[in-house]
Amino acid sequence: MNDSQPQFKRQELHTPSSFEGVVWALAGIEDARTIIHSAPGYYFNVHNNMLLNDWPAELYTSHLKLSSVMKGGEEQLADVIDAITEQRPAALFVVTAPVTETSQDDAEGVCARIGYPNTVVVRPAIGQSCNEGKETAFQALVDMMDGDAEKQPRSVNLIGPALCMFNWRADVYELQRMLNDIGVHVNAVLSGGATFEEIRNAPAAELNICMYPYDCGQETAAVMQEKFGIPYMADIVPIGFDNSLRWLEQIAGHFDLDIRDHLARCVKNATHFIRSNMIFGSTFELSTALSFENHNTYALGIAECFKKEVGIRVPLVSLSNADAAERVAASCDEVLVSPTLDLKKEKIVNSGPNLIFGNFYDQKMSAEEGFQNFVVADIPTAGYVSSEVGPFMGLMGAKHLVQTAVNSTVTKLLIETKGDVAGEVSAGGVDWDVAAEQALHQVSHAVPHFVRTFAVKKIHEASQKLARERGTHVTVDVVRDAAESFTPARFHAKFAAIFDAAELDGGS
Amino acid sequence: MPIKNYEHGCSTTQALATLGKVEGVIPLVHGPQTCVFENQMSTLYCRPAKLITAGTLLSKSEVIFGGDESLKEQIRNVYEKHHPKVIVIINTCIPQLNGDDVHGVSVEMERELPGLRIRSINTGFVYTDAMLRGSDASWLAILQTLDKTEHDPGAIGIVGRSGQDADNMGAIGTMLRKAGLTTYLFPESHIDEMAKITRAENVYPIHLGSYESCKYLTKEFEQDVEFIEIPVGVDGTTNFFRRVADKEGCQALHDLVDEEEKRARVELEKLRKKFAEDPVRMLLVSGPANEMSMGKIVAEFGAEVFVVPSMKDKFYKQERAIMEERYGVNFIDEDFGSLDELIEEIQPTVIANEMQAQPESSARLIPSFCIFFHLADYGYDWALNFGKNFNNMTSPSIWKHWRELNHRYAAH
Repeated sequence: MNDSQPQFKRQELHTPSSFEGVVWALAGIEDARTIIHSAPGYYFNVHNNMLLNDWPAELYTSHLKLSSVMKGGEEQLADVIDAITEQRPAALFVVTAPVTETSQDDAEGVCARIGYPNTVVVRPAIGQSCNEGKETAFQALVDMMDGDAEKQPRSVNLIGPALCMFNWRADVYELQRMLNDIGVHVNAVLSGGATFEEIRNAPAAELNICMYPYDCGQETAAVMQEKFGIPYMADIVPIGFDNSLRWLEQIAGHFDLDIRDHLARCVKNATHFIRSNMIFGSTFELSTALSFENHNTYALGIAECFKKEVGIRVPLVSLSNADAAERVAASCDEVLVSPTLDLKKEKIVNSGPNLIFGNFYDQKMSAEEGFQNFVVADIPTAGYVSSEVGPFMGLMGAKHLVQTAVNSTVTKLLIETKGDVAGEVSAGGVDWDVAAEQALHQVSHAVPHFVRTFAVKKIHEASQKLARERGTHVTVDVVRDAAESFTPARFHAKFAAIFDAAELDGGS
Repeated sequence: MPIKNYEHGCSTTQALATLGKVEGVIPLVHGPQTCVFENQMSTLYCRPAKLITAGTLLSKSEVIFGGDESLKEQIRNVYEKHHPKVIVIINTCIPQLNGDDVHGVSVEMERELPGLRIRSINTGFVYTDAMLRGSDASWLAILQTLDKTEHDPGAIGIVGRSGQDADNMGAIGTMLRKAGLTTYLFPESHIDEMAKITRAENVYPIHLGSYESCKYLTKEFEQDVEFIEIPVGVDGTTNFFRRVADKEGCQALHDLVDEEEKRARVELEKLRKKFAEDPVRMLLVSGPANEMSMGKIVAEFGAEVFVVPSMKDKFYKQERAIMEERYGVNFIDEDFGSLDELIEEIQPTVIANEMQAQPESSARLIPSFCIFFHLADYGYDWALNFGKNFNNMTSPSIWKHWRELNHRYAAH
């Protein structure tokens, strides 16, 4: 490759564009219809991807051919709009794709000519990000809102959720529950799962809340503040117990509600949970790498929750937002901003976390490198069933995160480090080199206490078995091979230094 | 009167954990399903690499008419499937109460299955308040299967605590071997390796809970047994090795200790400084005797230490005297109703306890951890590693976070 050429950014392969952002933001409005004005490839790719990650959504296409693009696809768009309006949708969204952005079809003219109410054309800009696309879509919705809507006391809008945003349904469900508990009503969600009437009536809310402030929604909230005088909240990320309580407290403060009794009940419940024997008994010795290039808010919130509230070390956070990167640095050992997969792999292998959160590519890479404990928590996925269950936000989300971290690791570590259910009962002893004994002893310090003694036992047994197979006594090399096959990745880096030192001492 | 029991577990549990880790031996729990299941679950973490738990699952009729036949049947099953060298019957409360002829069954089955050795131990209510005796009784049962051998001149034996020590006594054994001493460890991972203990001339127990076994070694195998002290931390490890070196006339061991101690002292001083800057007041409650060894380690770092002992045999008394004299460790001899009373009285900054004390130790959001996860604590490096990671292990900032959260919201 010519060094003067800009390097191909492989990391962008798994990063959606503004086109997906617009489509995901609009297609989640349940009684509206979205038409992709494009060649069919855009349609079925984005539709298939949506269906692999979310509930069914109505999506249509003007299925342009080369000839219609050359001539202008307006008539085909008009035909599709005519057909869809027979269904009497509450609103109609026409989204242009890169092809029609290039050909500059007059989609607005077509819509004006047909004159169906609540129709808007949204044009994702080529080269913009997914989150910028969402802001574009949300702001198109703002233009359709009723500025004279009657104010609803103690009501809020949740801005940010959209189809294919990982776990958005569960997060919305949980935050709604928490708000309902203090007498605050969710007026509208922008936009996932909302009806068009709710969107139109959004200015009735007294407060806007940005759910994913490090991803999208803040610009829209600022526009609504200017246009409708609705203040917004975007500083507290409601992930983790502390942040969720402060989030609730701030909202209550806005409405001048006294929720002290409620907060007391919440914190007592959270404390009872956190005192579970299996939590601090294991979390202080666990480590988790977080890879969230498409969900910066999660990256930040989860890192803060793990580090500050349950003592799980976060050796690595990978994300794509520079502001989030700056803030998350206080909660982890190292931050990567939009890294290549190769760099991320190198960092993960070297830090050897017990658990990894990330997307499909991370999962595949982790599996290849021998990391078995993985939580799918970001897009893209290779298919994921999502629902209201298992939020990462709010008080239930905090519990879910902690129980996921513990349950995904501790039992697996236990199983991994224990011997076979019905292994050999009597295989006989094998002689050990002193250096091999020392190496085994040193290795033990790299293993969490709660599995240490039998982990050592297993490596001991595996070493003896290997030595028998090789017809030798147990050497450092034998212990190294046994240890590395026993935990191919998780303790690899820590073990390697020990064995290297043992070999320098002449152990093998 | 105590209203809870904070011991590590039942002596049946201890016996199962101890025997279950030795290859070639299968422990057979003779008792009702409750005993078999509960002990199986209680030992899941600390037991056996292998997951075999054989039990007789006594029925009600067997409780009334005797469970001998079930026991014989299960011995046949276990032998046929696993061909162990030794089966140890762990005779629980019910068959003891019932008067099952476990000894008679053992004799009869040894005749029926030549090559198999069967011993039995009584556990459960015979060792209340002395759970660790389950370990001692287990070792004794294994020793009773061994034949008398000639001593290897100059060979020494090291006797550890329970099954957890199998494969985890490297910090002691390796150092002795490096010094050129022929060393036999007990426990080892395999019964054949453990059997070599009979070849030692001098035997050094390194933890509590082997007093009866050591008496047997003296009586049956004519070995000289000396409990020096638990070789943990820097002083404890050094003193142990030096006494062995003196007794065995091994200058190489002295030289190795000089080298190791010099390295360890540098680290120890750093830890002492750290502990002086951030004083620790630690309460250790009834571990599998590691409330003593861990207490000694932390006391050496400069912590103020309070210990509720789990074991009160002769070795304990000797170790206690060392800990009191050397580090001013406080021992709690009086009965207490619940741990809460002790916490109130002592006001510790860190608590190490068994799992069943966790509801009380965590209630005040004081840093606390489960003591039984911290086993095999012998030698210099374990202690130094623990000291370096003490802050991480106890994570005071996390507990403080939760105290503050409660103060902010729940104090209302």
